[in-house]
Amino acid sequence: MTGLSFDPLLPWPLIISAAILALLVTVWSLWRGLRGWPLRGLAGLAAAAALAGPALESGIRNKLSDIVVLLDDRSASQSLPGRAAQTDAALDDLTRQIGALPDTEIRRVTVTDDSDGTLIGSALTRALAAEPQTRVAGVVLLTDGQSHDPAMLPSGAPAPVHVLLTGEQTDWDRRLVIEEAPAYGLIDQPVIIRLRIEDQGAVPAEIAQSPARLRILVDGEETRTLDLPPGVPLDLPVVPQHAGQNVISIGFDAPQTSTPELTDRNNSAAIQITGVRDRLRVLLVSGEPHAGERTWRNLLKSDANVDLIHFTILRPPDKMDAVPVDEMSLIAFPTQELFLDRIRDFDLIIFDRYRVRGILMPQYFDNIRRYVEEGGAVLVSAGPEMSTVESLNLSPLGSILPGRPTGRIYEQPFLPELTDEGQRHPVTAGLPGAPVEGQEKHWGRWLRMSQVIPDPNAQVVMTGAEDQPLLIMNRVGKGRVAMLNSDQVWLWGRGFEGGGPQLELLRRIAHWSMKEPELEEEALLADVAGDLSVTITRRTMAAEAKPIRITRPDGETETVNLAQTGPGRFSERWTPPGPGLYRMTDGEITRVMALGPSAPREFEETVASGDKLGPLAQATQGAVLRLSDGIPAVRTVREGRPAHGQGVSRDWIAITPRHATSTSGVTHRPLLPGWAWLLLVAGLALTGWLAEGRGWKLRRA
Amino acid sequence: MRWLLLVAGLLVATVAQAQVDPDPRLIQAADEVALAYVVTGEGDVDSASEAGLRGLSQVLTDRTTVEPGEPIGIDLNRDDLSLLTFLYWPVTETQAPPTPQAYVRLNHFLRSGGMILFDTRDGDIAGLGGPEGAGVLRQLAAPLDIPPLAPIPVDHVLTRSFYLLHDFPGRYQGREVWAEAPPAGAEAAEGVPFRNLNDGVSPVIIGGNSWSEAWAIGENGLPIYSVGSGLDGERQREMAYRFGINLIMYVLTGNYKSDQVHVPALLDRLRREEVMQ
Repeated sequence: MTGLSFDPLLPWPLIISAAILALLVTVWSLWRGLRGWPLRGLAGLAAAAALAGPALESGIRNKLSDIVVLLDDRSASQSLPGRAAQTDAALDDLTRQIGALPDTEIRRVTVTDDSDGTLIGSALTRALAAEPQTRVAGVVLLTDGQSHDPAMLPSGAPAPVHVLLTGEQTDWDRRLVIEEAPAYGLIDQPVIIRLRIEDQGAVPAEIAQSPARLRILVDGEETRTLDLPPGVPLDLPVVPQHAGQNVISIGFDAPQTSTPELTDRNNSAAIQITGVRDRLRVLLVSGEPHAGERTWRNLLKSDANVDLIHFTILRPPDKMDAVPVDEMSLIAFPTQELFLDRIRDFDLIIFDRYRVRGILMPQYFDNIRRYVEEGGAVLVSAGPEMSTVESLNLSPLGSILPGRPTGRIYEQPFLPELTDEGQRHPVTAGLPGAPVEGQEKHWGRWLRMSQVIPDPNAQVVMTGAEDQPLLIMNRVGKGRVAMLNSDQVWLWGRGFEGGGPQLELLRRIAHWSMKEPELEEEALLADVAGDLSVTITRRTMAAEAKPIRITRPDGETETVNLAQTGPGRFSERWTPPGPGLYRMTDGEITRVMALGPSAPREFEETVASGDKLGPLAQATQGAVLRLSDGIPAVRTVREGRPAHGQGVSRDWIAITPRHATSTSGVTHRPLLPGWAWLLLVAGLALTGWLAEGRGWKLRRA
Repeated sequence: MRWLLLVAGLLVATVAQAQVDPDPRLIQAADEVALAYVVTGEGDVDSASEAGLRGLSQVLTDRTTVEPGEPIGIDLNRDDLSLLTFLYWPVTETQAPPTPQAYVRLNHFLRSGGMILFDTRDGDIAGLGGPEGAGVLRQLAAPLDIPPLAPIPVDHVLTRSFYLLHDFPGRYQGREVWAEAPPAGAEAAEGVPFRNLNDGVSPVIIGGNSWSEAWAIGENGLPIYSVGSGLDGERQREMAYRFGINLIMYVLTGNYKSDQVHVPALLDRLRREEVMQ
């Protein structure tokens, strides 16, 4: 290779100005009739040429091979029946064909699953960036066209991009699309999930427009079914039933048609809605001001999530003084409003040393009983009045109390202790400082309690004097009742004999009554760690925990045995094979757990389509072809020509050989040395001067 | 197995035995919210305290649901205070300061929700240059963890915990009574005529109105000390009892009366929510 190059001494405009000046001088000379005008012009031009610094370049040029990027998509959506084989066959054939072309190399790129889907755009951009732009002769993508990063696709390529789609012409799929689902919801308040059914691909006529039967399961239990035609958005109201994770699974069965749909993995979705409690409303009724009353107030008022309505009977109806009403600061107890009209608004009613003295009418107590049976909660903190004729037990409420007082009151110091059931019950399990046999340090004692005979169904979790029941808990209908047979829990707060965890105990009793999931006796918990391993914990009042049967998303089951980790606690670590909806059960409690995205992204859209990659192919004059129509032949065309077309037997795609070269051993030699330029310019100028001067004239003469 | 249980049982039994049972008077106090007073060693002051608390207990029993037992005298150096709720402490010039251990118990008592009413009993002569109780009180109370104090403001919950009060008279009246200062920046909520002060209960109330003498009744049920003169005096005694009742209600129910102004608002909200649903 040899060529002329310039190495100007001055900027080009100046050199051009010099040349123009030289021409002007020449023209002027001609007009004036000067004899040496050609010489003058040549001298000027030679000066300009010298300034441009012409040089001779020479070197050796080598031809470079062309590069074809061959990208195959091996993501999960490509594992649908037939697609892997199609890809393999095409890959083999194309490798062979391209390999047969002269001076052509293949760069293989394989795209696998990413947590964000199939990232063809990134892979392609990376592959192109790694190669010299001048050598890329073609790009062939073997994929179903479902790229999940269209923004990362390059807008153009230096060579034709061909998209060869897997799948069949007859492919079709019906899927469930969750358009909108809240992550949180107030308990018992409906939240809206917006969804629709979408048909894609060549939907068989027999199924088109026919509705899909949606089944809606809340926490694994079927709640309702409804028919939804494709393309119609549906606002589905769902009510979170409890605090914590509510798993809503929505799905439909694969339609029965001659051509089955591509996959049923996008026919269902699991949505997790965390149930959040609205503010808890607690009604505290104190029968009389007493030393422990402020304990309740401190507990309930320190909880920002509790609206406390508190009434204390400051003056009983049978006591009067002569003080005028306007000097008193007493207000009437709005009993009818609280116990008849508004009772269902409360999450918990606490009777704190309440004695029946004609303030609440029997029908109010009856109403409270009904309220509990329908899912309410009552907590009785009983003082000695429980053993008197003014006992709550003698009111209509007595029928749901978990213990029946005998009338005996123990007036002696005693140490509250946990029973075996109490060791296991979440309300009392793990209370700090619980008495341990053989250890001297323990809780402070209490000084008074009433004797009661516990209901046979109730759980006695703490005992007091002479091992008599102290704290009894029971379920009545849908509601709960707890009863503490002593009013002296405040001694723990005062630090008598070291005190005890009074606030924690009372808090747990109150929250257990309000069905806080963390305090349920029978619970099956699944904590998902960051690496998707799951710690399964079974909390139970029973001595043994049954093995947990886990149903995987694909319907297979496995069994996990739990090991005891504490009283009433059994747990085991378990690693699920992959994301999806798992159902765990031990025969009594069933829990549904959704791991990973609600539906795998890979299976959101499965019908092969060139919609996403087509624009790129078009921009580079490449083709979008279906492999189901046959593997195309590979040809070569010149750059800028259409790179695909129909051949005799099959379609063809083309690569454009780039004829790229590398040049080595370049030398750079000036055309003339400086002094030669000087000689030339000076010689021309001198000759011109001589010609116009006398010498010329003399010779003529 | 059985003998193991037996040994364990014995162990528990001995541990329980090793614990000294508390003073029966104090058990009584815990059970019945008995009012307690500090025994100063001055015979007439102590008997006035006892008679005063008995009088107050009587009035409480007559008029309210609180029915305290017999008042008990407390020897600060000996008795456990954790079973008590309210302690009346008359300040005399001659009483010996409690031991450091007693101060530890007193501080724990104040921190865990107990209350002490200090009475300097000098409402008649204070400010006249005579011997004052304030100096002695300062000396006695110096080791106690007492928060900053301020004269009881007119919107304090003590003024409406049972009766509506404007003054807190005892045998004397007109003197300021001090309690824990309201926290800086406490403001009245909108629509509420008073600020929500002292979410807890002031651990001390300090005054000099000699309340026990105004409350005191003898064995025959009649007042022992004269208060003021004539009908005005009887009115003052009535007000002293009302202060006593308010004070005990305040000790037992805390800021209950402050909160009650919110109850109509809460019920209103429940009604509104029902309409919305």
